[in-house]
Amino acid sequence: MSEQHHHHTGTGRRWHALPIYLLTLLLVLLLWELGVQFVADTPRRFLFPTPQAVIARAGQLLRDGTLLRHTRVTLLEMGLGLLLGTSTALLLGYTVAHSEFLAHLLQPVIVTSQAVPIVALAPLLTVWFGPGLISKIFVCALIVFFPILVNIVAGLTTIDPRLHDLFRLLEASRRQELFHLEIPAALPAFLTGLRVGGTLAGMGAVVGEFVASSEGLGYLVKQGQNLYDLPLMFVAILTLTFITLTVYGLLGLVERTVLAWRQRDDTASQT
Amino acid sequence: MRLKHLLSLLILSLLLIGCGGKAESDLTRVNLPMGYVANVQFSPFYLAAERGYFTEAGFDVNFDYRWETDGISLLAADTIPFAIASGDQVIQARSQGLPVVAVAAWYQRFPVAIVSLETLPLDSPTDLAGLRIGIPETFGASYIGLRALLTEAGLTEADIDLRVIGYTQLAALTSGSVDAVVVYTNNAPAILEQEGIAYNILYVADYANMVSAVLVTSDMQIERDPEQVRAFVGAFLHGLADVLADPDAAFEISHRYIEGLAENAAAQRAVLEASIALWEAPEPGRLNADLWAEAQQVMFEAGLIQQTVPVETLFTNDFLP
Repeated sequence: MSEQHHHHTGTGRRWHALPIYLLTLLLVLLLWELGVQFVADTPRRFLFPTPQAVIARAGQLLRDGTLLRHTRVTLLEMGLGLLLGTSTALLLGYTVAHSEFLAHLLQPVIVTSQAVPIVALAPLLTVWFGPGLISKIFVCALIVFFPILVNIVAGLTTIDPRLHDLFRLLEASRRQELFHLEIPAALPAFLTGLRVGGTLAGMGAVVGEFVASSEGLGYLVKQGQNLYDLPLMFVAILTLTFITLTVYGLLGLVERTVLAWRQRDDTASQT
Repeated sequence: MRLKHLLSLLILSLLLIGCGGKAESDLTRVNLPMGYVANVQFSPFYLAAERGYFTEAGFDVNFDYRWETDGISLLAADTIPFAIASGDQVIQARSQGLPVVAVAAWYQRFPVAIVSLETLPLDSPTDLAGLRIGIPETFGASYIGLRALLTEAGLTEADIDLRVIGYTQLAALTSGSVDAVVVYTNNAPAILEQEGIAYNILYVADYANMVSAVLVTSDMQIERDPEQVRAFVGAFLHGLADVLADPDAAFEISHRYIEGLAENAAAQRAVLEASIALWEAPEPGRLNADLWAEAQQVMFEAGLIQQTVPVETLFTNDFLP
């Protein structure tokens, strides 16, 4: 009862938050416009485009299909990178959580892979895998992999050992233990990791595109910078921000839905 | 008693330091965006700093290795007085309404070329047809150089397989993922020779010489203090003349500004020699209207700029000594 009450309050809070988000957005636009007005008569105007110029450029890029085309490329890189990063994290996470030997063997490699600054590694990946889609997927996967892995390992290793004992006592198969104990137990932590990873996927795609690209939103940012087309840069950056926020929101929704469903399932099986 | 002496000494030292600092404070502090990492190519600037030409001209110069586009933006915003940039950036910026203007030529020969491995002949621009060509970006001197060569051969981008590969040209070329790459002539050939890799090269400047790296200022700086512009141009050209006259000294002095130069001395010395060949001119510093016009035309045809501007707004020779 208390859980349901809490959940209800949480949803309510989200709905109330919407007008506040819109208000914040309006405030940012207002401050932006004021800031631009403030420097309008000075040479500093060359550093800040007006909101109107950015909106007009966005309209033009939408009409001629440019924005959609580049957004699709970045989304593809993000999606495939997230897929590769997540599946690798799942596989390694499961292995590390179940074999102490492999955990000792793999841990230094995994930690080192994260200690290497990906931005510095990206040009090398471009040399190794070529400047096409593959190198961007790898950059993306490398960035999203770690938070997901850490969460999976945490989820799997914090299962109450008595539950494992119980499954063994009931002579449950390996498969039954996986599906009825481990997956449900590690799910919340995995979904949290996925939400963090999904948010980082956009950054991965842009890092890859910054090194070498002829399409994608990161390419548009770079092109805008080099053609002194600040509105173009802003449109691309704002689109990227929007994508990341949407991915975060969607994965959050998935997380809440799955957990609510799991909870209902648990309650049902208890009664 | 000893303490008193010590205190007097301390006060005296502080006063002396104060007096020394006064001369320093007369200098105008200049943050100079270089557009690239510390490199022997910047030896004219290192020499001008080391031999006191900038100080004599009234400047305390700090070399700032940021992107040239950032340098141009800061110039336009009037937050810095000078920047080094390639001429195409000046054209690009000016066509977007940014009030920047070139005041001295540095490179006199367009430093871009197409390179292939020995097995693929590159005798004329028409040989580019059908090739997989790797290019760092689809803007800037490399792209403009390629477009100029294609135009020269009566080709378009549709006649080649253009691949944006970032700054990984030599790796892409030697691994065979492309047939040819667009490179800077003062860098890549020196490295290929060092590695013992035989290559063919097609120089853009042999077919279309366009404006290259220049010293840039802003309209505001010219209006505010034209004498300062003249002084800065003079100091830079003095450094350039010294490098042309004594490359050995230039290379020696560059060691103080470039980390790891000694370890790569042979290749970097070759880079300096190749660069000097691109700087030599009957009148160092003089900007040529024809080169600006050609570069602007190529950029317009490539769709890099939406409108051309009067060529005389892009540069001025008024500040040459």
